[in-house]
Amino acid sequence: MSDLSHFDCEATFRRLNDYLDRMLPPEEQRLVEQHLADCVTCAREYRFEQNVLDHIRGALRRLDVPPHLLRKVSEQLETARKQDP
Amino acid sequence: MSEAIGTAVHDPTFEEQLSPLLAPAYRAARSLLGDRTEAEDVVQEAALLAFRAYDSFAPGTNFRAWFFRILTNCCYGRHRQRRRRPQTVEFEDVPDLYLYTMMQQAGMYTDNANPAAAVLGKMEVEEIVAAIDALPEEYRAVAALYFVEDFSYEEIAQALDCPVGTVRSRLHRGRKLLQQALWKAAGERA
Repeated sequence: MSDLSHFDCEATFRRLNDYLDRMLPPEEQRLVEQHLADCVTCAREYRFEQNVLDHIRGALRRLDVPPHLLRKVSEQLETARKQDP
Repeated sequence: MSEAIGTAVHDPTFEEQLSPLLAPAYRAARSLLGDRTEAEDVVQEAALLAFRAYDSFAPGTNFRAWFFRILTNCCYGRHRQRRRRPQTVEFEDVPDLYLYTMMQQAGMYTDNANPAAAVLGKMEVEEIVAAIDALPEEYRAVAALYFVEDFSYEEIAQALDCPVGTVRSRLHRGRKLLQQALWKAAGERA
């Protein structure tokens, strides 16, 4: 059992992914934040993982979407609507 | 509540719900299939299937998760048809904090506001897409939805029709596998 008044490095590390994804219950979220504020090593690891996440998400959002995609889908739906009114 | 009085209730049409999802759907499909043309085809296929199945969608529930479930099934179908490329990521146990550790060992880690930039900042979008596309299937789908569209675990579970705990564990492992793949890709381009 973890001491619910504070998290150590191991308890924080086990929750790092859920913390990154804001999936922790509020109390655990608070305890992780508290530990990250106090522990330079864990804070560095967290910052790195967040940074990796930001890079990947940022890159994928720059993927070009074909400009005609919306039109093609609309035309296709229009055709389907005529066939299956 | 009172704001609703006298206001016409407008149920969004199928197209109104679908349109904003087409770009993220295309990006997710690109990550899942790795190919522009196939991604475009699969988004159109999913849109048509969703249109035809729209009667089965329960209004007020999560249209995004519902549509992405159709989309990922279409992507799986294409994978099965192709029985395609060999996996490029080994199905091995990858340590936590893989990229962080490798960068430290290689003397590339700098403790600044953007510590991953030394590796990821130089990578093309296509290299990141290829790394996701090379993940084993169960990790690839979770990663595509997670990284592209910022889905919650619950939404990914709905879209992939699996328990939230499965999403959590696949995402945890998928992240590590992806970091390993990105590190390898960075090494190959150096």
